[in-house]
Amino acid sequence: MPITFEKLTHEYNADTPFAYLALDAIDLSIEEGKITAIIGETGSGKSTLVQHLNALLLPTKGSLTVLDRTITAVEKPKQLKELRKRVGLVFQFPEYQLFEETIAQDIAFGPKNFGMSEEAALKQAQKMLQVVGLSEEYAERSPFELSGGQKRRVAIAGILAMDPDVLVLDEPAAGLDPQGAKDMMELFVRLNKEYNKTILLVTHDMEHVLTYCDHVVVVDNGHIAQTCDKQQFFKDSTLLRKLRINPPAVIRLRDELNQRGFSLPCDLIDMDTLAKAIADEVKAHE
Amino acid sequence: MNNIALGRYLPIDSCIHKLDPRTKIIALILMMVAIFIPAGWLGYLVIGAAVLTLTMLAKLKFSFLWRSMKPMLFMLVFLLIINVLVIHEGTVLFTLGSFALYSGALSQTLYIVVRLMLMIMLTTVLTATTKPLDLTLGIEDLLSPFKVIHVPAHEIAMMISIALRFIPTLIEETQRIMKAQASRGVDMEEGSLKEKIMAILSLIVPLFVSAFQHADDLANAMEARGYVPDRPRTRYKQLKMQGKDYFTLFITVLLLGGLVAMAWLS
Repeated sequence: MPITFEKLTHEYNADTPFAYLALDAIDLSIEEGKITAIIGETGSGKSTLVQHLNALLLPTKGSLTVLDRTITAVEKPKQLKELRKRVGLVFQFPEYQLFEETIAQDIAFGPKNFGMSEEAALKQAQKMLQVVGLSEEYAERSPFELSGGQKRRVAIAGILAMDPDVLVLDEPAAGLDPQGAKDMMELFVRLNKEYNKTILLVTHDMEHVLTYCDHVVVVDNGHIAQTCDKQQFFKDSTLLRKLRINPPAVIRLRDELNQRGFSLPCDLIDMDTLAKAIADEVKAHE
Repeated sequence: MNNIALGRYLPIDSCIHKLDPRTKIIALILMMVAIFIPAGWLGYLVIGAAVLTLTMLAKLKFSFLWRSMKPMLFMLVFLLIINVLVIHEGTVLFTLGSFALYSGALSQTLYIVVRLMLMIMLTTVLTATTKPLDLTLGIEDLLSPFKVIHVPAHEIAMMISIALRFIPTLIEETQRIMKAQASRGVDMEEGSLKEKIMAILSLIVPLFVSAFQHADDLANAMEARGYVPDRPRTRYKQLKMQGKDYFTLFITVLLLGGLVAMAWLS
């Protein structure tokens, strides 16, 4: 069952002089079991959009359906815990949400809140430490001794420990070194492939979109500017440029070569096939 | 949290907004003194009229003043109860079992309520018409004569402005952490006492961590730019008293004098 937004509007500080329309009657459908990238400029409404997914923000107008829950603007929803367990939301810089004495305790905090026993939660925490690539010996250490990247892994493990069906991540790789970012993205791909989790990813990094995602949603100024699959999305980089987003290197190379007289097909989006196409064209020319 | 009215600056174009912050601070102090002069109900009528005029000159809505007073309502009710129970002056208005309501208690409480309300309204007018940074500049200037007796005027002003600067940041951070923990199943409203304590802990620890982080970053940034607290500094914004400032102060002194006279005569 896909996640659907129907004419969903969100207005901050409604009915005050500080009112701000963040999302304007958006319609959107996000496929289950895929990795979907949500992109857009700062302040375009991406974060507002994702915070609706586990009902941290409620629609001012319209409705959305996540898993089997429908949330409408008309009635104030109750029993949101169930939804929050099934839709794990990882905020930007989640390392700031750590607070427990030990890493294991912190990871176990979520599952315990959702009714798991202390013992089972700690066991789950051990497991999740390994999933995010930290060794067991970290379990009893304080989360505040860790480096930034390690803290982020612990924070993400804390959400994974809840075993959500849908995982929403707001710029999970921001501020990490390239290797750290790559490991992080590969972890999400693994979660998607092995555990069939639906993953939504807010990101600014087009290389990540190109390499790891299946679908792309473009948010622009409170509206959905485009939703399509990756192949379709990178066919034409005019929209990207209009949104002041730098296209990935492969796409830039393809487009610049085409501008200078090549006629490479627009659905080429990976380096190997592009290299082959260039070689073919050069050979044909000779 | 965005609807807190108390202490909020409202960017409006009015003659009160344009006054020098020092004028406004001094006028506020003088008016506060005036409020405490026992000039009877007529005196409060005069001050009340003055406050209303000020509010209108500042183009503030009365609903805004009312909202800034709301948090104090609880205290007012509390005061009322205490006074009614404790004061035994004047004539007995009515009795209820062993409890008797005295006229003195009622008038005394009303005095206090009116005083508090006037003070809150005045302070709200000040904070609503003066940018926080201008306010600290004003405080610094007014405190600077006391440097002779080693009052660290600049440091006090700097601390106030830093504190003010970080209020919105910390509010934003609090909301973010609350949301992050809500995503981990924390329920701030429901749950047993133990769960509630855990919920508060999960909010406060990260908030402290980030507040210290901010303080550390800020201290480093200031030091990197060569900030030394007790060195003389120049300022981009120069405060200048103008005719309208002296006029405002004159009117305020006149008001205070009038009230003293009224208290003297009655």
